Amino acid sequence: MKDETLREVEQFLYREARLLDNRNFSQWLELFSDDLRYWMPTRSNRYPVSSKAISILDASRYEEEEISGEDELAFMEETKQTLEMRVARLDTGMAWAEDPPSRTRHIITNIEVELADSSDQLRVYSNFVMYRNRGERDEDFYVGSREDVLRREAGHLRISYRKIVLDQNVLLAKNVSNFF
Amino acid sequence: MVLDVKSLVDAEAGLISRRIFIEEEIYQEELERIFARCWLFLCHESQIPQPGDFITTYMGEDSVLVMRDTAGKIGAFLNVCPHRGNRLCRADNGNASAFICAYHGWAFGNNGDLQAVPNLQDAYYDDLDQSKWGLVQVAQLDTYKGLVFATFDKDAPSLTDYLGEMAWYLDSFFDRREGGVEVVGGVHRWIIPCNWKLPAENFGGDAYHVAWNHLSALTSGFTRAPAARQTPGGGTISPGNGHCILAVGAEDYSAAPVEIIQEYEESIRAETLDRLGPRLEKMTPNVGTVFPHLSFLRGSSRSFRVWHPKGPDKIEVISCQFVDKAAPPEVKEALRITGLRAFGPSGALEQDDMDNWEECTRTNRGAVTRRYALNYQMGLGHDRFDEELGAWSSDFRISDSNPRYFYQQWARLMLADTWAQVSAG
Repeated sequence: MKDETLREVEQFLYREARLLDNRNFSQWLELFSDDLRYWMPTRSNRYPVSSKAISILDASRYEEEEISGEDELAFMEETKQTLEMRVARLDTGMAWAEDPPSRTRHIITNIEVELADSSDQLRVYSNFVMYRNRGERDEDFYVGSREDVLRREAGHLRISYRKIVLDQNVLLAKNVSNFF
Repeated sequence: MVLDVKSLVDAEAGLISRRIFIEEEIYQEELERIFARCWLFLCHESQIPQPGDFITTYMGEDSVLVMRDTAGKIGAFLNVCPHRGNRLCRADNGNASAFICAYHGWAFGNNGDLQAVPNLQDAYYDDLDQSKWGLVQVAQLDTYKGLVFATFDKDAPSLTDYLGEMAWYLDSFFDRREGGVEVVGGVHRWIIPCNWKLPAENFGGDAYHVAWNHLSALTSGFTRAPAARQTPGGGTISPGNGHCILAVGAEDYSAAPVEIIQEYEESIRAETLDRLGPRLEKMTPNVGTVFPHLSFLRGSSRSFRVWHPKGPDKIEVISCQFVDKAAPPEVKEALRITGLRAFGPSGALEQDDMDNWEECTRTNRGAVTRRYALNYQMGLGHDRFDEELGAWSSDFRISDSNPRYFYQQWARLMLADTWAQVSAG
C-alpha cells in the first residue's frame, strides 16, 4: 500500500469524524456512495465449543458465532436513503433523543488499509471510541471496530460498506441516536 | 412494610402517585407481590425449538434458565447454583445436555437435576441427597400460541384464567395464520434508566403520545399515520386483569409504510378475518401489554419485548421481532429491516421514547415533586364495557382508561395477600 494512499485514507476518516462531531450531517452523507450498506450488528454471550461450562447436546446445530448474522436483528442496518431519512428527522425540531443535541467525540485509531476484492476498492479497518455526553450528565462510551469498503467516485473517496462492531452485549446506553 | 396502596393509586379519580415510580421500598414490594406471583413471559417456543436448546432471561430480578430437556419438554429454573449461589449459565442461549457451575463444578442436567458433585465420596462422605439440590424450578409453566410463560407462585390461577379475554387479542398478533409466528434471529437488549411501568403503560395505553412524541418519525417516512377518516375508529381496550390493548381502526390493518408489507396484509386479510372472527372487523389491535411487563406491537415493527426491572429507576429491555411463519421470505425480510429501523435502541420511533421515560422517572427524586399526583384523567367516565370486544373500551381512540385499569390491577396485587383477594378486587 502506498504511503500517500494510507495518508489519504487517514485524513478522510479524520475529516469524517470532524463532520460528525460538528453535526454537519449533510456533508457527512456526501461521503457515502449511493449503494451504501451501513450495518451495526449485535453481540451475544455464547460459550465456545471448547467451553467446559456446558456439555453440548446437539453439536451439529451448535452456534458459536457471537456477532449477529445478516438475516438477524442489528442495532442499525441502513442504506444511504435511510441514513438521509435519519438526518432529515434530526432537522424536524422534534427528534427528542437529540434535542437538545448530544456532544460527541469520535476518536478513530488503528487504521489499516488493504486492497479489497476488486482492485479499485480499499478495505479499511479502524477502531473507534465514541464519547457521548448529553444534557447535564448523560455519558456513554461506545467502543468498537469498523470495517469499511472505500472506492473512488469522480476523484473522491466514498464509503460503500461499513460494518460497525460495538464491544457490548447488552447495550449500556439508553439509545443509539448518533452515527459511527 | 405496610404500604398505603390506596393513597398511591386512585383509579376512579385518575390520580397516580409519583412515589410508585421511584421509591425503593415500593419497588421491593413489587418484586414480591407482582413479579414473584404473576405469570411472566419467558420466550417464544421457536427460540428453543430442539432438545437441549436453552435461553437465559429474568423473572423480576431473578436470573432464569429456560430450556428444552433431552426429551423435548420445556422447563424454567432459577439460573443459580444451589450450592453457593453462583450464576450458573453465563450465555444468552445455546444447546446443552448439562451445565457445570464455574465455581466448584456442580453439574446439572437440562431438566434441572443435580447430576454430579465433585468430591462426593471423599468430602461429602456420600452423604448428600442430590435429589434435593437440583435447580429451583418455577411453580407453573405453560404456553399460549407459542408464547412461554411461567410463575413462581403455585397458587396463581392457570395461564388461561390469567390471560382471560386477552387471549383473543394475543391471537390477533401471534396466531393470525396457520402455524402462528416465528421469532427472527437475534435480539435487542439495552438499558433504560426508567421505571418499568412507564414503558408497560406506554405500550398498553398511550395512544396520546404517538402524534407528538413520534411526529418526527412520521414526517421523515419511518412510519405512517392512519389514513384520515371521518371516523378513524380504534380505541383503548382493557380485557381484564390489567392487560391492555391499543387498537386502530378496522381498515388500518397494515401500518408499515412499505409496499411489499402492505400487499402482504391485503393478501391475507380474508384469511385472518376468517381465523379471528368478526371482532376483527370492529378494530385492529395494534399495540399491547400483558400485565405486568410483556409488550408487543405490529405497526412499523412487529416486536415483543419484556421490560425487566433492575431497580426502581432502571430496566433492561429484551426485545425480539416476530413474523407470521407462513409469510413468504421476502415479506419476512422486509418486516425485519423495517422493524429494526423503527423500534429498538436506534429505532427512529423508539429512541425518543427512552429519553422521555428517563426524565419521567428522574424528576420523581424530588421530595416536593413527589407530593403531586400524576394526571390520568383523560376520558374519565367515557369508557364502557363492550360485549362484542369482551373488554372495557374507551369511547374515543385516545384515553387514559387503559392505564387506569393497569394501575388498578397493580394496586390489587400490592394489597392482596391471596389470588382470591386479587380476583375479588
